[in-house]
Parts: sequence; structure tokens; C-alpha cells
Amino acid sequence: MEEIEDVDFVSSEHDRLLNAVTKLDKTQHITEPTRNEPTNTNSEFNLIKRSNKLNLKNVAKVLENKAHHVKISKKLKESQNSSKILPKPIEKPEAERIKRSTGYQHTKHKIGRWDPVVARNRTVNFVSFPLKRVSSKLQPTHEFLSKLKLKSPLERELDEVDPPIPEVPDEEEKPEYPMSYEEMLEHRRQLAKLRAQQSYKAAKAKRQSKIKSKKYHRILKKDKLKQQLKEFEELQSKDPEEALKKLESLEKARALERHTLRHKNTGKWAKSKLIRAKYDKEVRQQLAEQLAVSKSLTHKTVDAASSDDDDDTKQENPDLKLLQDPTNPWMMKRSDKDNVDSEFDFGYKKYLKDKMLKRKELSDSESEDEKAGSSTKSNNAMNILKKSVNTLSENVYETHDKTAINKANEQPKRKKSKLSEKKLSNKEDKVGANTKIVATISNWSVEPVNIDQGNASEDISNIFESFENKLADKVTKKLNKLKKDLDKTKTKPKLQNKKETLKPKKEYGVEYYEFKKQNEKPIIDEPLLETTGKTNDVETETKSLTKILTTETQENPNANIDPSRFIVVKPKYLNTALPKDVNEYDELDDDEQVVPKIDIEEVFEEDDVVDSFRQEKEDEINKDKPQDIDLSLPGWGQWGGKGVKAPKRRKTRFILKAPPCTPRRDENKGDIIIKEYKDPKLAVHKVSDVPFPFKSIKDYEASLRVPLGNTFITEKAHKKLIQPNVLTKAGTIIQPMDEDELLIRKHQQFNNDPIIKLLGQK
Amino acid sequence: MKVQNKTKKNRYFQEEKNEKPKKSDSSTDVQVFNIKITPHTIKKQRFKEARIVKNVVKRERDVKFPGKAPIDPSSLERHSRGEGLQGRGVRHPLYALKLKKKENKYKYAQEQAARAEILLTEDQGLIEVGEGEKTTAVSQKIIAENVDIAAATKIFDLKLDFGPYRAKYSRNGRHLLLGSKQGHLAAFDWVTKKLHCEINVMESIHDISWLHVETMIAVAQKEWLYIYDNTGTELHCVKKMDKILRMEFLPYHFLLAAVNEYGFMTWLDISIGEIVGHYNNRIGRTTVMTQNPYNATICLGNSKGVVSLWAPNVKEPLAKILCHKTPLTAIAVDNRGMYMATSGVDRSMKIWDIRNLDGPLQHYKLRTPPVDLNFSQKEMLAVGLGDVVEIYNNCCSQTTEKPYLRHRMAKSICNFNFCPYEDVLGVGTSSGFTSIIVPGSGEPNFDALESNPFQNKKQRKEAEVKALLEKIPAELITLDPFDVMQVDVPSMKDQMEAKKKLLHIKPKNVDFTPRHKNKGKTNIARKKIIKSAMRKEIIDQAIEAQKMLEEPQKEKESAPKQSFGVLDRFVPKIKSKK
Repeated sequence: MEEIEDVDFVSSEHDRLLNAVTKLDKTQHITEPTRNEPTNTNSEFNLIKRSNKLNLKNVAKVLENKAHHVKISKKLKESQNSSKILPKPIEKPEAERIKRSTGYQHTKHKIGRWDPVVARNRTVNFVSFPLKRVSSKLQPTHEFLSKLKLKSPLERELDEVDPPIPEVPDEEEKPEYPMSYEEMLEHRRQLAKLRAQQSYKAAKAKRQSKIKSKKYHRILKKDKLKQQLKEFEELQSKDPEEALKKLESLEKARALERHTLRHKNTGKWAKSKLIRAKYDKEVRQQLAEQLAVSKSLTHKTVDAASSDDDDDTKQENPDLKLLQDPTNPWMMKRSDKDNVDSEFDFGYKKYLKDKMLKRKELSDSESEDEKAGSSTKSNNAMNILKKSVNTLSENVYETHDKTAINKANEQPKRKKSKLSEKKLSNKEDKVGANTKIVATISNWSVEPVNIDQGNASEDISNIFESFENKLADKVTKKLNKLKKDLDKTKTKPKLQNKKETLKPKKEYGVEYYEFKKQNEKPIIDEPLLETTGKTNDVETETKSLTKILTTETQENPNANIDPSRFIVVKPKYLNTALPKDVNEYDELDDDEQVVPKIDIEEVFEEDDVVDSFRQEKEDEINKDKPQDIDLSLPGWGQWGGKGVKAPKRRKTRFILKAPPCTPRRDENKGDIIIKEYKDPKLAVHKVSDVPFPFKSIKDYEASLRVPLGNTFITEKAHKKLIQPNVLTKAGTIIQPMDEDELLIRKHQQFNNDPIIKLLGQK
Repeated sequence: MKVQNKTKKNRYFQEEKNEKPKKSDSSTDVQVFNIKITPHTIKKQRFKEARIVKNVVKRERDVKFPGKAPIDPSSLERHSRGEGLQGRGVRHPLYALKLKKKENKYKYAQEQAARAEILLTEDQGLIEVGEGEKTTAVSQKIIAENVDIAAATKIFDLKLDFGPYRAKYSRNGRHLLLGSKQGHLAAFDWVTKKLHCEINVMESIHDISWLHVETMIAVAQKEWLYIYDNTGTELHCVKKMDKILRMEFLPYHFLLAAVNEYGFMTWLDISIGEIVGHYNNRIGRTTVMTQNPYNATICLGNSKGVVSLWAPNVKEPLAKILCHKTPLTAIAVDNRGMYMATSGVDRSMKIWDIRNLDGPLQHYKLRTPPVDLNFSQKEMLAVGLGDVVEIYNNCCSQTTEKPYLRHRMAKSICNFNFCPYEDVLGVGTSSGFTSIIVPGSGEPNFDALESNPFQNKKQRKEAEVKALLEKIPAELITLDPFDVMQVDVPSMKDQMEAKKKLLHIKPKNVDFTPRHKNKGKTNIARKKIIKSAMRKEIIDQAIEAQKMLEEPQKEKESAPKQSFGVLDRFVPKIKSKK
């Protein structure tokens, strides 16, 4: 005790010295209250909120420099490295954003299901509403009757065994008018009364809730309490169990009330203690106790099954605890907790602890060696398998015999089973096999402790079976492949033999690459194409060259032109009958070609007819032609007089050339004039714009080409063409689509992606 | 001699098609096409093969129920409305698909139309004679002896005293209208010979015409145009149309087109009684007029041998064709609007391709100038030569050697018309009317909704209302009747130009390629192209030849070259012309 007092004294001296020194410094420092040596005196004024976060580093610092703590510190570090700290919850806006985006994705997906339905309904010829139709098809009598069946003998027997519950006859049909007039009136009156009372009460509650007087509320509360107590007493006499419950609820309510931090230092007792505490140690202690109680009550109990690491730390915690003092309010909580922990230290936790211990032992001594052994074993097995398969394949190549393959197939299986039997002999082996089979390399931790021998063997056999199956599958796959190869090799010679037969097919292929409709080339083009071919001939024959030169105007005899089509139509002299008054060539044979001796028509012919017509055409052409504009001023910048010609450059410079006019329709038609005109009256009826979905005139006009009227096309086609897009049945309610539409096959199979995409975007 | 069914003959362009495949069959060597093989093509090919296999399997399966009868491709072609939608000029895949579906419906409509041909049960007749005999030798008497009694009654002769008669049949071919130069007007049902009315208007009648129904008649009298009903009651006297020489009624437009002595053309809309077009054609007096049923233009022939085509709202001819060097005597346009036959005083007759405005396709020289020409529904051409009517079969697409039928009368011909839906030619002559049978001239199948020879009163009324509802406005008369269906490209371009000038408006990207390309298939264009090609070829050859001849000389020149050592650089170089 003396020593302690000495230490106290020294420390107090030291403190005073420090204070004196700090006082020299005039600036005020607000020092954070620090924890000193645990003392009985603890000012409640220093109570500030601290985070409960335990800094492990600080804790571990204590372990430094002590040999027997090295292990623990190591472990601590390990655990710190291996454990993952839960990420900090994301900030609210970001979290919201994520929520929104995921929500968007979700709804998008949900709505996206409707895309094909919508797309199909848009593209389909017509949609008829209502979508769901009750088939009005009448069933034929025999079909209807076939559904009405007598009970089968089995059903009858079953009925005898377990007689079916007789159907409850339907409730009596409600009368059309359930109440008489008076009753109805009464009913209404009652309802009105109820409503009125409700509204009164609501108004009252509202009014009361607005009262701010503390006194009033206090009284109200007391009243309530009294009433509840009264009820409780009443209940105690009547129903003790209910009373207990009631008491509990009362207690709970009170606890809840007290639990709120409102009453921490508002009570009479607390206030009085606070005043005294400055001077009285005992009072201070009492206060501290009170605080500790409140804290322990408000402390959130930690979830027991959180993680292993937590447990570890908890185990260490009691060791870490130094200088336990029951009076220390900060320490009290901890001791409490430890007690609780010890209470809960059974079952799962205990199991875990045991396990940990065992594992350590295993890892130290045996497990590693064993694993290595098992892996080598598995490798060996695999090698054997591979070899067998290889031999198999060789066999196949050599013999093409299926039975042999089957035998060979069985061999590895047997080997495998033998292996497994061997492995079953001891436990360690089993464990090894276990690991090998399921996952040959991974460090799969299996608990060998609790597994019964029989169960294990069963499991293992199952596993082996599955493995065998896998193997069999693999082998069969490989076999199939080999068979295919074999087939191919067999068919190859056949193919060669059948080349002749295949020829037509090839020809067909050629045909395919031909154009479907060969463009019939106009005959005009052919001589143009042939020019290159001709020149070769020309090169070789020098003699003919001169000939060509001399006879330039001669027509090429080889030109592929049908002359009869292009030569000016020769007049055909018809042997027509002559009217009676002309007796010149009477009674002639029809076959004779009669050419009149004198050209009488020439007498009638007007010579200038053709010329004047051509002149007319010329005029017509020139009339529409835009004229060149001559901008040159006569006499400007040039010498005048007779015989002086304007320079060429100036001519071209001052003349604005007219734009080239579009070719006339009668350009190549000889003695035919077609007037080019724009009729404003007709233009009114014509379309001068290409409407929306079209972007080429050609397609737009093609879409207009068929008349729709029944005077032009058949009635059936007419009806089909004028069918409206939406048909509705008169007098029916058209319900919106429900999700059954999604299941209709037509909708599911609709896969016109561009349209779905386009409509989906909208 | 028999009146037999005739197989339909191909037109000149169809023959050509038939020939081509033959050629390819006969030639054994395979044409080689250089095609890039892409994964796409391979895929397509595989798909095709798979489909073929599938189809084969299907066929085998469905032997019992092979499905719908196949359609004759030629008849399908006949009902084709031209090239369909390519699908590239559509902005939006959704609309592309919709239009594709519509296209399928169009295809269905076409198929249905082709299938409906099975309902055309009747076939065109023809006179067939033994070897060494001629069809021209078959007179009406022989025909009358060989046909049934009912048909024989269609050969008849009316002897009327009031000078040269003009005759016209109503559109359904049931009623006949006669008008004489001396004022005799008669309307009757020529099959039953039931007279509707017979009056003398006490004026000269220049032309007559049925209006849209058989209850109304338009008569061009000496001064004005009169309209009578079928009982002879005068309904209207249209004084705006005076001194009319020729009239044509356009049934779908309800227009009565007329040309008068002074060269004025008048178009009267008889449904509303309004004159739609009235102008001077500036070609003088002409009595040669016909309508083109394809596009409802009026063809006028003048004394200079020019045929001009007219529409009501254009005061100048839409087109002019120089047909003959002499005055024209007659024009006829066939029912489909394919061919036009013209004849001049020069005793020649020409056939033109009036649809493409091209020709002449045929040129016939006759021994006398024809008085009148007329096409039957089956493209037989009747030529009136003084007092003889000659009927030519198949004279448009190919040159005929001789007439199909010949009928000689003792009176001069004024005009004639083939009776629609009957094998009858009605000839108005100087002393009455003659009706003769021309086997195979009329359309054997009639569309009762279009024109019904057996129409009753109620049907007539119904048809009248329907026709009025479907009346085509006069503005739509153009050379190309499908003009309305085409986009007005010039005005569209103007609009786009105007839009381009506006700010912040994205200009539209429109493909202007027209649907129907004029491929320059006219004879003259072809000739020109061929000529130029030939010329170019020969010139090329000549140039080559020149080069070949010059080359050896050059070599000779170049071989002995004198060397001056360092001074070579001063030797002048000959510039090579390129």
C-alpha cells in the first residue's frame, strides 16, 4: 500500500510540475481526456462519445518483445492479412444510382419480353380484338359424350375404401332482395350513425394531439398507467397467466421508455447525485454504475456466428484483459460479455474450436505426405487410362471390330475397380482416393472424423460409378469419332466412283450461279462487243486491211443484226378488190403481186409536206430550248468595220451557255412531234412528293400500281386488300393484353430482328 | 368450211422470246459467268437445295391433294401490273415488311385475276377452208347457209331512200343508230329489229352518236347539235356546238368530242352539260376523226397527211405524226390502243404503233384509196374500198398477203362499224344499211358489269349510276393514261430546291430513277445506234489497218541511224503524234 501511495505521490508531483510548465505557455489547450490508470475516481464530466472500434494494432503492440507471445502475434497478423474487411457502405447518391441502374435493367428486361409481341402485331396483316376468344365451335355429340365416363373399376374400389366426401350442396340462393324496405332504412341509419361517431372521434383525437401542455400530458399518462394497473389487478384475480403477460408488456413499455436516453440524467435521483458527486466519491461511483448499466443495456449484442476470425479475437480477449477491476465501468461491460461468451461456448463454437485444434495437428504431421501420395496415385491411374484408350484407338484403326472395342472398353473399368478396392483397405487411402476422384489437385478439406465406414464406402462406390460413367462417355465419344473417320475413308472411293453421277449436281450448282433471269441483251450491243475480236483477225491478214480501207462504207456482214426488223418497211402491194366503177384490173388472182404501172399517188403528193413537217418539229424543239445569252456589248472593245471578226476568246467569254435540256421524247422518232408541256390542271391530281416510308420514286410508284376497286380486281382480292388493320368485335370489352400473349408460339417465334430492335428502341 | 376455234397467236415480241430458249437448247456449250463466290451465296445455295429437297418431299406426300391448279404463266403475265416493289427505297424495316406483305396481296390479286380467266368460256371463231381454197371466196350467202338460224338473221340489208347513211352501234352492241345525209334518223334494237324511233329531222345529218345509255342520242345536224331520247323526243339543242362534222363519245369521261367545219374542237361534258374544252385546232376542215380508247385522246387526220392527237384541256396537239404525204381518208385505232391504221389518198394504208408513237409497222399499198377503216374487238381491220369491204386479219403485227373476207355491195360505202360482242360488221351505205357476218371479229366474252348486251332496264339504271360515280375527270386525258400514277418529278425537284434554301432543314435524299425507263426501243433509235456502232467499228478497223501498214515503213526508217557521237543531242527529234 505504501508503495502505491508513493507512486501516487510521485505521479501527482510530476503532474503538478507538468501543469506548472504548461501554464507558462499562455495558449489554452483543450486536451482530450485520456485514460489514465484505472482509478476509482472517474469524472462523469469527461464522458464523451468514443468510437467502439478496436484498433488491433494497438492491442498487438502489447505483445511485442515477449517471446511467448510471438506465436499469438504471428497468428494475429496472419488473420489480419487473410481476413477481408467488409467494404464501406457506398454513399447514398451512388447507392441510389446503382439501385436505379439495376432497376432500369430489370424493367428493361421485363418490358423487353413484349418486344416480339408488339413487333409482330405491328407487322401482321390485321389484329382482331378481343384477343382471347372462346371457341364457339360446337362439339359433335359423340365427342361430347366421350368425356362423360363411368368410373373405372379401380376408381370404384378406391371409392369403397375411401368414400368421397359428399359435395356440400350450394348455399341457398340468395333472394333477389335480401332486405325489406324497413330493414334497409334501419341498416342505413345504423351505418350513418357509425360514420358520425367515427368522425367525432377522429376530430377529438386530432384536437387532443394538438395540445402542447406538459401537465396535461403528464396527467394523461398517469391516468393511463393507473388504468392499466387497475386492469392488471383485475386480471390477476381472473386470469393469472394473462396477468403475467400483461405485466410483462407493462414492464417492456416502461423499459422502452427508460431505455430512451431521455431519462439518463433527468430523474430526481440523478440530479441530486450529480450535485453531490463533485465532492463525494461514493456518489460518483453510484453514478458510474448507473451509466454502465445504461450502456450495457443499450449495447448491441454481437452476432455469434459472424466469422471465425472474430471468434479468435474473442478468445484472445480475456488474455488481453489487464488489471480487472469490478469498479471500472469500462471494464465491467467486458467481463459481462465474457460471461455471456462462456455461456454460449458450446455446440457450434466448441465444434469449431475442436476442429481447429485437430486440423493443426494433422497439418503438422501427416496430411501433406498423404496428399502427395494420393496425387501421384491419381496420376498413375490417369496414365493407365490414357494408355488403354490409346490402345483402343489403335485397335479400332486396325480391326474396325466393335466387339473388341467393347471388351477393351471393359478392361480399364475393371482395373479401376480393382484400384478402388485396394484403396478401401485403409482409412487414409480412402481419404486420398476421395480427394483424388472429386478434384484431383485441389486441397479439398474433408472431415474424416464423423463419417461412418459403411456410408463412406457407399459414397465412394457412387463416386466411382460416376467416374466410370464419365470414362465410358469419353470412350464412346472417341469411338464415335473414329467411326465417322472410318466412314469417311470408306465413302471416299465411292465418291470417286460416283463422280459421274455427281456431275449433274455440279451442273446444277453452275446453274445456280447463273443469273436467274438473264438480261436479254439488245442485239444492238453485239457488234460493239465484237470489235475487239475482229481486230485480232485484222492483224493477221494484211491483205484484207487494204480492202477494208477501200471499202469503209461497206457494212459488216458479220454484224448480228436482224435486218428485217430495222429496215424501213417496204410497202406491201395488196391485191385489193376494185370498186365496180374502176374496171382496170378486174378479176385478178389474189396471189398475184400487182404493182401499178403509173404512180398515181405522186400526183396527189405535196412535195413540201415532209419538209414543212420537219421544219415544224425543228421549231418545236427550238421553242423549248433555253437560249444562250450574249452579254457582249456591240462595238465595245473591238475594232468595227467590215470584215473585222471578233476574236474567239471574247466570243466564248461573253456568252452564257444555256443549261443542257433534257432529251425530248420524240428525239429519235422521226416524223413524230410529241409536245412537251406541263398541264397545271393535271398537276393538281399528281403527287409532287414522296411520302414517308419511301425514298425512291420507283418504289413509291410501284406501291401504287395496283387498283383496289372491285371493278378492276376480283372480289376476293379486293376484300383482302381493303381489310382494315384492326378488327374489333362489336359489343365486346377489349381487355388489355395479359402475359399469356407472351406464351403464344407465333409471338415467340417472331424473329425479325431489325423490327424488334427498332420498336424496342422506341 | 367451218367456223372453228382459233388458237391465240403470239405477237411479234412473244415470238422472239420463244425463239431464244430454243437457241440456247441447241447450243451445247455452256455459258460461263464470272461470279464471286461469297459465303452469302454459298449459304443461299444451300438453302435453295434444302428447299428443293423439302419441296420434293412435300410433293411426294401430297399426291392425293396436290393443291391449287397451276396458273399458266402467260396468263399471269397478261394480268401483271408491272414491276413490283424492290424494297430498297423504303426507309424503315417495319414498313418494308408491311409493303412486302402488301406486295404479296398484289400478287394474290394478280393470280386471282389469272385464275378468273377460266370463266371466259367462249372462244373466238374463224373461217377455215380446205387446201387451195380461199377465205375470200366465202360469201355471206355461204356463211348464212352454214351458221345457225339465229346467227343467220344477223345478215340483213336495209334499203332506205334518204341518201348516204352513217351507222353506229351502242357500246354494248345491242342497238343501232342510223342517220342519213337527208335527215333520216332511226334507232333500233338490231338483234330483235325492234324500232325505238324513226324521224326525219328535216336537216342534213352529219354525224350521230349514242351517249352513255341507249336512251340518248346525239345528232350533229346542219346547224346545231341536238340530243334526242330513244323515242325521238328532242331533249336538247346545243347551240354552242354548231356545224359539227364529226363526233366521238368518250364513255368513261362522259365527254362528247366534236369537230366542226371551221376546225373548232368542242368537248361537252354530258353529265353536267358543260363545255370542257373549246378551241380551234388550226388544221382546217376535216372529217377524219376517231378516238383512241386507250387514253381517250382524239385523233384527227388532216389534208396534209398528219394525224394529230388532242386532249380537251390542251389547246395544241399532244402529238403529231406525219403518216402520209397526201390527204388522209380514214383513221382507225384498235380497242387496246396499240395500233393505229391510217390511209391516204395515195392508196396506201399504214399501221402505226400508237402507244409508243412509233412506226410505221406496216405499209400496205392498195389499189384504190380506202373510204373508211375500222378495227374490230379482235383486231380485224375492215377496209372500205368504194363499194367493197375487205376485212384483214392479223395485219398489224405481221404483213398479210391477202384479205380474210371480202364483201361486195352494189352501193358505195359511207361508213362502217364492227358490232361489239358480235361477229358482225354494220355498213352504212348510200342506199341503206348492210349487216354482214365476220366470223371471229367480236369479243366472245363480255363483262356484264362493263357492258352488257342483255341488259335490262334496272341494270341499265344501275350501270349508269355506277358509271357516273366512276367518271374520270377530263383533265386526266393525256397520252399516257398512267400519268396520274406517276410522281410529278419536276415540281418535286423545285420544291426540294426551295427547301434546300431554308435553314435548319435537312434535305431529303430521294432516288429519282423513274419506274418506267424509255429504253429507246423505237425503230429509228435502234437504227441510229446501229449505224453509229457500225461506223465506229469500221473506223476503228480502218485505223488499225493504217497502223499496220505504217509500222513496217517506220521500222525501215528507224534502222539506219547515223551517229554523230556527242553531237547526237542536236539532231532534231521527230515528234510522235499521239
